[in-house]
Amino acid sequence: MVEEILEKFREWIDNRHEYAKTWKERTGNKVVGYFCTYVPEEVLYAANILPVRILGSHEPPTITEPYIFAMYCHLCRDCLAQGLKGRFSYLDGIVEGQSCLHLRQAFNAWRLHIPIDYAHYIHVPHGVQTPRAVPYLTQEIAKFKQSIEKWTGKTITNEDLDRGINVLNRNRDLMRKVYEYRKLDNPKITGLEAMEMVLSSQMVDKEEHNKLLEQMLEELPYRKLDREPGVRLMIVGSEDDDRVFMKNVENLGATFVIDEHCTGSRYFWTDIEPREDRLMAVASRYVYRVPCPSKDWPEFTRIKHAVNLAEQFKAQGALVIQNKFCDPHGIEIPPLREALRSVGVHTYPLEFDVTVPWGQFRTRVEAFLETLTGLEELF
Amino acid sequence: MIAAGVDVGAKFVKVVILSDGKVLGRAKAPVGFDVWRSSSDLFENALKSAGLSRRDVGKGVVTGMGRKTIRLRPPINADEAVSEVIADAAGAFQLVPTVKTVIDVGAEEGRGIKVDQGGKVKDFVINERCAAGAGTFVEAMARALEVSVEDMGPLALKSTKTIPMNAQCCVFAESEVVTLIHSKVAKEDVAKAIHDAIASRISSMVLRVGVERDVVLIGGVALNPGFVVPLKRELRVDVILPEYPEFVSALGAALIATNI
Amino acid sequence: MSEETKEYPTEPLKCWDEAKNLRRNYYEDYLTAHEKGGLRWAGGAWTFSAVLAGLGEDVYGITSEPYGATIAFFKDFAAQCHDATEAAGFPRTLCAYMRNYWGSILLDKYILADGTIVNGFPTPDFIWQDHICCSHAKWYQVVKWLERKKGKEVPMYCVDVSVGYALEPVEEYKVNYIVQQLSDGIDWLEKATGRRYDDKLLCEAVWNEIKTSSLWAKICALNQAVPAPIDEKSMYSLYVIGTLMKHKPECVAFYERLKEEIKDRIRRGIAAVPYERFRVITDTQPPWGFLKIFREMEKYGAVSLGSLYTFGLIGTWEYRRDGTWAPKPLPPKKPKTREEALWAMVKWTLNKPEWAHFYQPELKTKMMTSIVKQWNVDAVLLHYNRGCEGLSLHIAENRLGLLEAGIPVFPFEGNMGDEREFDFTGTMARLAAFFESMSLKKLKE
Repeated sequence: MVEEILEKFREWIDNRHEYAKTWKERTGNKVVGYFCTYVPEEVLYAANILPVRILGSHEPPTITEPYIFAMYCHLCRDCLAQGLKGRFSYLDGIVEGQSCLHLRQAFNAWRLHIPIDYAHYIHVPHGVQTPRAVPYLTQEIAKFKQSIEKWTGKTITNEDLDRGINVLNRNRDLMRKVYEYRKLDNPKITGLEAMEMVLSSQMVDKEEHNKLLEQMLEELPYRKLDREPGVRLMIVGSEDDDRVFMKNVENLGATFVIDEHCTGSRYFWTDIEPREDRLMAVASRYVYRVPCPSKDWPEFTRIKHAVNLAEQFKAQGALVIQNKFCDPHGIEIPPLREALRSVGVHTYPLEFDVTVPWGQFRTRVEAFLETLTGLEELF
Repeated sequence: MIAAGVDVGAKFVKVVILSDGKVLGRAKAPVGFDVWRSSSDLFENALKSAGLSRRDVGKGVVTGMGRKTIRLRPPINADEAVSEVIADAAGAFQLVPTVKTVIDVGAEEGRGIKVDQGGKVKDFVINERCAAGAGTFVEAMARALEVSVEDMGPLALKSTKTIPMNAQCCVFAESEVVTLIHSKVAKEDVAKAIHDAIASRISSMVLRVGVERDVVLIGGVALNPGFVVPLKRELRVDVILPEYPEFVSALGAALIATNI
Repeated sequence: MSEETKEYPTEPLKCWDEAKNLRRNYYEDYLTAHEKGGLRWAGGAWTFSAVLAGLGEDVYGITSEPYGATIAFFKDFAAQCHDATEAAGFPRTLCAYMRNYWGSILLDKYILADGTIVNGFPTPDFIWQDHICCSHAKWYQVVKWLERKKGKEVPMYCVDVSVGYALEPVEEYKVNYIVQQLSDGIDWLEKATGRRYDDKLLCEAVWNEIKTSSLWAKICALNQAVPAPIDEKSMYSLYVIGTLMKHKPECVAFYERLKEEIKDRIRRGIAAVPYERFRVITDTQPPWGFLKIFREMEKYGAVSLGSLYTFGLIGTWEYRRDGTWAPKPLPPKKPKTREEALWAMVKWTLNKPEWAHFYQPELKTKMMTSIVKQWNVDAVLLHYNRGCEGLSLHIAENRLGLLEAGIPVFPFEGNMGDEREFDFTGTMARLAAFFESMSLKKLKE
């Protein structure tokens, strides 16, 4: 049963466009694409709109050259390439929750060059460590809500918002529960499977995703994996949806037991705490959630959180990944590595691009694993 | 009038001799280390083959990377030196008067040039610092695959697989090729991946200036069918391949000479 | 040289030495601040430096980007800084200014305006920063981390400015978000420095800052004259004063004098480039280690009149009713209270032209097109600057927009602060091809 559910997650990812089109036809509702996890999906769910995360396809994004200077990260160019190639032609709108400059370019280029009915930019504050951020974001979200209402012609009530909040919170809670099974000495799911669980949640109706998660949690305690867990690894860094990389590393005698990036735990680690002012509740969550480094200043709270995770999930080592040209994550590499090293978690940095040179990476990862365990463990 | 055009490229020097606007002769030779020696030898030999001497040449124009080195020295002693961009446009326009986009892929450089209805350059782009989209990369990869450069294109055309490769940098791309070789990927599939990467790099660059028909492909790499197929696919447009594509820049220089 | 090419009279700027002195003193004052019993602060050139004036007149700052640019100008030292930063584990694709700055700290060396290198990087007493791009706040977060390794704890305060570009009318809640942070920041400054805050000094400083940016815009507007009285390479040494001390009365006084001198040059027909026959503007920061590109251009009779960067980083502009783009006039009244000063400064800052493209590339394209029309520009040279994500943001869109408007564009890749990433020879060859396509030949070999 768990295997079927995991297979379903994979199917959703591999056929994400067909899923969204079918959902649209079935429900008669709108689909909106978003670039960054700072978009408050709760508001979209409240309006019966399906939010789907726009991600790339890991093919060289040749087509974006006229619109985005190639020194911006492959993710933003790959996302735009999908739009320019018409793969997201079913989208009714796009929304961006302010984060890094790179994705901002993908959003603006999409807005300027790809026909779309609705485009909205939420100025999610970067100053998430100032007490002024929540009231400010509350107003930005109110503006967003009004804009959606104008577009759809329907008012979003508190009940609608509660519905949106509940489905997102439930999804987060269930995925955290699944992650608990990665703390075991023999984790019940691999890093690749965990990634596929999270990725699929960003692409489908979370009501459906929640149902599968609930079923999976009933069966997961009894799951026996036909593999040795090997070295316990953490993966931490820029956005990462490179499933091939995850699989390849785990085939070398290791398991990713935890991650800290936005197609992983950072997406769902924090819930919305209920309060009377629903919009302020949503704003608080997005201000106080595990931050993207672009917003994590003046204190390094995300690094502290990553260290906590590494300790909780007993990671022996961490692969620190940076998408080439990603400044926010790149800036944090030395302090992050120092912090992890201080609790005995050794690290190895890898620079990711639209494709990764597995030959070279294999050598490095194998050597890293050897340093963590000694040679005898690998034979 | 006899006019001469000399194109001193990164790897080869090319000469075109025109007589009243018609091609009388073409010659090509490796540039080597002594740019002036190889260019002047080729120039003199080309004239000799056409039954001419330097005195018979009315006007001469040089172009290419090495144009400043050879321009004012005998025997070439050219009247003018023009950039490859201008020469490419002039040559392509002569051969295909309906041209709007010229793509020139040589040993070290790739260029995309937009021309107007009169063949005048409107906009252009040249690859920045990286030779992932150029001929020497094909040569280096041919050595890695142990095939001749001439066989690389036909070999690539045998493959039906698509293996995405990093097209930002030829050093990155080369490291990925090494991985593929060690993963026992079939030679033709690796060859195709290489050509797809070059085509991707060139298309990416040309898209900056925009693609408008008719598109003419020139330069030495135009002779490689393994490159032409993916290029057309990436640009989503047919491309015209003139005869002797590697001589178009020299032809352009010679045509400019006739108008001096 | 063509006999038809007109030759204009030219002469050096009279206020050149004053500009040099202002800049030299700035970096020396920061170094010797403690000797004078003063305070040192560090932060970005965009930071709300006028706020610090309220702490007293003996507060000396170092603004990060100009310091990074100073390092870039001296390529040997820049190379050492890059090496040091990369050895510390930072990727080389990060903001070039930032890497230069960190390198200076890691090497524990400080470079003065004339290139003299002094041992011991002077640690700031506090950091007062703004956050406008992915790197800004994090730049100083790392500075704090580096200083901590040297046993020094440097308090840091950073103001988030990411509310969008202010199209009139400004949404009050956005201005309020920034004003509140600044207000909290003043309380923080009092605690961090132990000094009492003087709102009168704040009001003066804010008014000076507004005057500085209005004056600089007026100076740039004067370059619409033919021949251009000043060229962009020279302007860099003049606008930088604004990036260092826009809130100081010395800066206002200097720009007043400069404005009069430029007007005088126009009256007398004095040109920046004697054989001016082709007018260009550039964009983004130049490759600081290779400013000779401007002298190369002059060999073709091409003069760069400035850029949205040079005009709009320090200058503040607006669109008039008749559609022209012109220096923004001063607000009707000078602020008298803390609240008035903070509101005035924030509203003024959010109008900065260089802020527009952070949100809407089409706004920048519009401004660049206006510059081309009003300044009588023949072509635009776009520096696809690998060293700065912020100012290169959407540059490809700007290029498309300019081409659509029928304006010839020459894009070239480079790096404002990392000399390894600019191919001078290759770029000059491409520029020659571009000029050739515009029928512009060298005046002489």
